[in-house]
This record gives sequence, C-alpha cells and structure tokens, in this order.
Amino acid sequence: MMRDNAPISHVVDALDVETYLVCDSKEEGSRLGIQLLKDLGFKDVDAVYVGWSNGGARVRLRANIHRPGDTYAWLPEAE
Amino acid sequence: MAASGDSAVAASPRKVLLVPLDPVHDVALKVLNRMLKARGHETVLLPPDLPMEEIVAKAAEEKPDVLMVSRTLSYGVAELLSRFVDQVEVAGLREKTRLVIGGKAIHPSLAAELGFDAGFGAESEYEEAISFVEGRTYVPKAARDDKVKADITSGYRYGYRNAGIGRLLDGIVDEILEWSASRTSPGVRRAELRKRMMSEGEASALLPEYLALCDEKIVRAYEKGEYPNKVRVLSAEEESRLDAFISQSKKVERSAVLRHTQKKPLVFVQYGTGCPIMDIQHIKTSEGWGADGVFHFDPSWGARTEGFLSGCLSHEEDGSVITVENLRKIKSSLHPATIWTVRAHRGLNTPETVVMAGEIGADLTKINIVYGSLNGGTDPERLTVDGVAGIRYAASYGMPFDIVTNEELGGVPADKAFAGMLIVARLALRLGAKPILKPLFCYSPDVMVRGLMDDNYVDYNAAKVMALRDIVDAPIWPGEPIGFMTHSEDRVQSAMATALHASLGISLGVDAITVASTDEAYSRGPISVAARVDTLQAVKEAFRFFGHSRIEPTAKAREWADGLIKGIETVLVEVAKRGSFVGALYDGLLGGPEDGAYPGRAGRGTVTTF
Repeated sequence: MMRDNAPISHVVDALDVETYLVCDSKEEGSRLGIQLLKDLGFKDVDAVYVGWSNGGARVRLRANIHRPGDTYAWLPEAE
Repeated sequence: MAASGDSAVAASPRKVLLVPLDPVHDVALKVLNRMLKARGHETVLLPPDLPMEEIVAKAAEEKPDVLMVSRTLSYGVAELLSRFVDQVEVAGLREKTRLVIGGKAIHPSLAAELGFDAGFGAESEYEEAISFVEGRTYVPKAARDDKVKADITSGYRYGYRNAGIGRLLDGIVDEILEWSASRTSPGVRRAELRKRMMSEGEASALLPEYLALCDEKIVRAYEKGEYPNKVRVLSAEEESRLDAFISQSKKVERSAVLRHTQKKPLVFVQYGTGCPIMDIQHIKTSEGWGADGVFHFDPSWGARTEGFLSGCLSHEEDGSVITVENLRKIKSSLHPATIWTVRAHRGLNTPETVVMAGEIGADLTKINIVYGSLNGGTDPERLTVDGVAGIRYAASYGMPFDIVTNEELGGVPADKAFAGMLIVARLALRLGAKPILKPLFCYSPDVMVRGLMDDNYVDYNAAKVMALRDIVDAPIWPGEPIGFMTHSEDRVQSAMATALHASLGISLGVDAITVASTDEAYSRGPISVAARVDTLQAVKEAFRFFGHSRIEPTAKAREWADGLIKGIETVLVEVAKRGSFVGALYDGLLGGPEDGAYPGRAGRGTVTTF
C-alpha cells in the first residue's frame, strides 16, 4: 500500500515527541524542545504543550511531516 | 482476558477440568468456570497450588475433554509446564484430552512450543477460550464488522410536555411561515437549480443561470480557473491515488464500538482538515477506533460566499471546501454504519447545502437560523428565508438535523440560546422534519460570569438536559464538542476532560455526543490523527468504567433546570410579543450585543418578495 518502506513515509501527519526536560522556565522548556526537534533534522516543528514545575518541563513536541494539502508519502499509487 | 457478553447454551456440553497451576492466580479460571457452567458444560475447578502428581491423578480420574491450566510465567516455569505435559501424556490422557494453557504472558506460539493445544494470554477474550472448548471457530471482536447504522431520532414522538412553551412556539412558528411564504433569495433559487442540476442531469445547461446567482470569486473559478486564496484543485494523479486509497481502505475497514453495555450515546467526531484526502484518513481512523458518526466542517468563508465551487479541492486552512466532488469522494469512503452529517446551518448556502447533502446521501444535516444570524455572520432576514427552505429540503430528503446552540460560546445565556433552538425545532416539526436538540456541554462565558461551574462541570450541563426533557420529547445530542472550553493543550488533560463529559452524557442517557481530539485546544497547527485516537480511547474507557451506573448531580441541577425553563419561557413571551421573529433577531431578544451577539450582515438586502 505504501509508496516506499521508509518508516517516515508511513507517518500520516506528524511525529510527536513526549519527554521531560530539565530547565528553568516554561519558555526555556519550549525553546529547548523546539531546538531538539530541529537538531533531529525536522523543520516544521512546534511545542504543542509545555508544562513547567520544580525545575523541569513536561513537553509534547511536534514535527509536522505532512500538513493537509501536501503530497502525502503514505498515499498509495494509483491502481 | 476481556469479558464476553455471549451467554447462550452450548450445543454439545463438554467436561472441563480447570487447574490453577499457580499459588494465587486463579481468577481467570474462576471466571471461565462460571461462564462454562452457564453454557451447560460440566466443570471441575481444582484449588490452587496442588502438587503436579495430584493434578494428573485427578485428571486421570475425571477424564476431561479439555484440561485448562493457568500459570503466571516466571523463571523455570517453562520447564515445569513441559514436565506437566509429559506427565499428562504418561497418564494416557493425551489422546482424549485437549490441553490448554492460560496466563498473562502466554501466546499461541509459546503454548505450542510447550506442547499445549492452545494458549490464551492477556489480550485474549474469554469467548476465545470458550470457543476452543466448544470446537467453534472464534471470530475476534476486532475482526467482526457487524455494526449497523443507528437512527438517532428513533423512538421520539416530539410531544410538548410544557404546554405553555408549546403554545408560544406555535404562535412564533405561524408568524415565521406566514412571513417567509412570499419571500425568496439567491440561496433559495440556487438550491432549486442545484436540485435540478443533480437530480435531472442538467448541470451544464443550468450552469449560467446558477453562476448568475453566485459571488464573483465563485464565477472566476468556473470561468477562469482562478480559485480563492489557499484553495487548489487536486491533480489528476492525486485524485487517482485518492481513489486507490479509498479502494484499499474499504478492503481492510472494520468498525469498532466504543460503548460497553450501553446502547447510547452515539459518538461523533468532526472532520475538516481542509484536504479531502486527509479528511478520509481521519474518518477511517475514527471509524476504526469506534466513532459512530462524522460530520463535515467547512471553511468559515464558505458561509459568507454565495454559491459553491466545483471539483476535488484542497484548502490549506481549517475547513474542507464543500463541492459535489469532495462530498462524493468522502461519501464513497464511509463504512456502511457510519452516520454522515454535512452541516448547512449558518450561511448563504444553507438550502443548497441541504440539497447537495441529500442528493449525495448524507444522513444528517445541521441548521440553526438563530445561531447563524446572531453569531454566524448571516443577515437574520436572509437566513430565516433560507433556513425555512433548508428545513423543507431536509424534510423532503428524510434527513434529521441538529440545532446547535454555539451562540453560548460568544456569551449568549443558555435560556436565550435554547429559546432560539426550540423555535427552530418547532418550525422543523411543522415542516415535517426531525430536529435534534444540541445543548452545549461547555464552560461558556455566561457560566463563568455567573459562577455556575465554580464547583463542578456536572450540575449546569445536567440542568440543560433536564430542562429540555421537561419541555419536549426529542433526541438530545450534546456538543460541540463536549467539554468545550475545558480542554488544554495537555493531551492527558484533554482526553480526560472529554471522557468525563462523555461520562456525564452516559449518565444522562443522551442520544449522542460529539467529541474533540486531544488537539482541541492546540490552535497553531492542524489536528493530528493520533490525537483523535487518544480521545476515542479515553471515551471508550469511560463507557467501560460507568456501564449502567450514573453520575449523581447535586440538587443545584434541578434548581437550575427550573430556572432555565422559566428563562426560556420569558424569552419566548418577548419574541411572541414582538410579533416578528426576524424583528426579534434584529432587536437582540434571542441574544444581543450585551451577550456578544450581533445580527450578521452577509446577504443583507438580498431577500425579495413575490
């Protein structure tokens, strides 16, 4: 069904990374999270959720692989 | 193991020896013992932790058809189980007796490796083990596809329990029908043309007449191929690949059921990513994780534009463009049990949307003249004319429609929003349509200002349902989505908020609910497919948790329900006194500037009399 077997081509829309970052503020958590995704090679990135407390941030980071209207790698070839 | 609801009696009773080969873990065997007995099998359940020799001796004495052993796997257990199989063999039982092993870490291949005939683990259903005992082929729940499409209005008679409110509504509806009888609009005329274009195959011959009633940006797209900003036509290759995607999806599709032992509520999700391909991915995912219905969310500019574009179109922002081709593709992708709603309620294309949805085979639509006029941006006079026409079409297509009260989100108090909803519902009944009441389960501005949810989210939402039930016997479908304005960007909180509001819906016995995704509060990007799964899973757990038990609202709920009924009656008296429904909308009787509601301007001056 898939166009190729690279795992990334099976991602429908976005890759979420959830982790806990040691940082001094919510803003720093957000900045670090976004930089983390960029360091991993993703370009269209955002911090969907950042909750900070006691020296660390619970983060949900998102790398958009396909936004609506893109050419989707997961779409099968025409039959 | 998961529970099974199958309690029929087996055709050929078997003798089953149940053996907890374990010091403590014998719960699954006890459950199986109860279920097998209920199905007429002869069972013997041994106490836990007997010496292996004693068990084999008992088996030799009982000569069971099936010997079911449970055992938690740990270091050295594989050897113990192999030894057990050897001893059963030595005792001469292997020819007649089938050996089964169960335990959390057991899977079929491990069972076979150890010499057992079958193995059941944490993900097995009890029904699976029972099927093995009875020699039946087991069809896993996940592989069954026996869901049927539900009728949300079934069983409702629409009788008015509050006769005073019923009489007020009748008077208001009489006036609306008399006033609208001699009026028309470009939207009404386009709907007539659309019906002929779709049902009589006169599309190209009628196109010039149709375009004469459309906005310039629609005409430009048809005549020059210039589409509105951020809208593009899918390429032929994309369309072919979309067809392949739909075809392949249909081959593997399965519908899941979220409810546990309940019959309702049905669970709906809203799609409208902007792209029909991505929409279909969201729909197939939602169906697979248990949604009963989906509804089409179109771009906000669509409501302010006269006429529809054509072709398979993608839109780079929220809301998927309504075209015949987009809707047909989406319709072709749906599971047969999926209830499909195309909303038509708030804009300049209301009757035409109903016609398009009806012709293509939608199950439901959405119309609310009051919300569309006061918070949707459409001129009240225009939307009243178009709304009446839209409701007539909904009746003719046999499409029930919901009447959403989203004006609450702008600040309109629930009594005013409900008065508007009830007027449209009465109008629908008079025109032969089936309305569905849609109160919001929300943390609205009015609720915040009045402190109605300072203690809990239960009482006021419950009061809304209680009040509506006291007024009329009609289906109730809280939306949209439930928990509106209580979700945060934290996906655990978001899924939990939806699941708790779903639990309230279960408790109140409402007919349906619309659920958000866990990206509900995330506004900087599109909703992800995974976020839909998160919420549906949480709602499933709510169904499992509550079964037929209930959340108990406090006495405040009844007090507030009575207050809502009085408030609704007061609003309706004022509208009736005004003597003009449209005038009441302009005057703010159903929501005015102090409530954050303003009569819309789109389509002003376009109504003509005849």
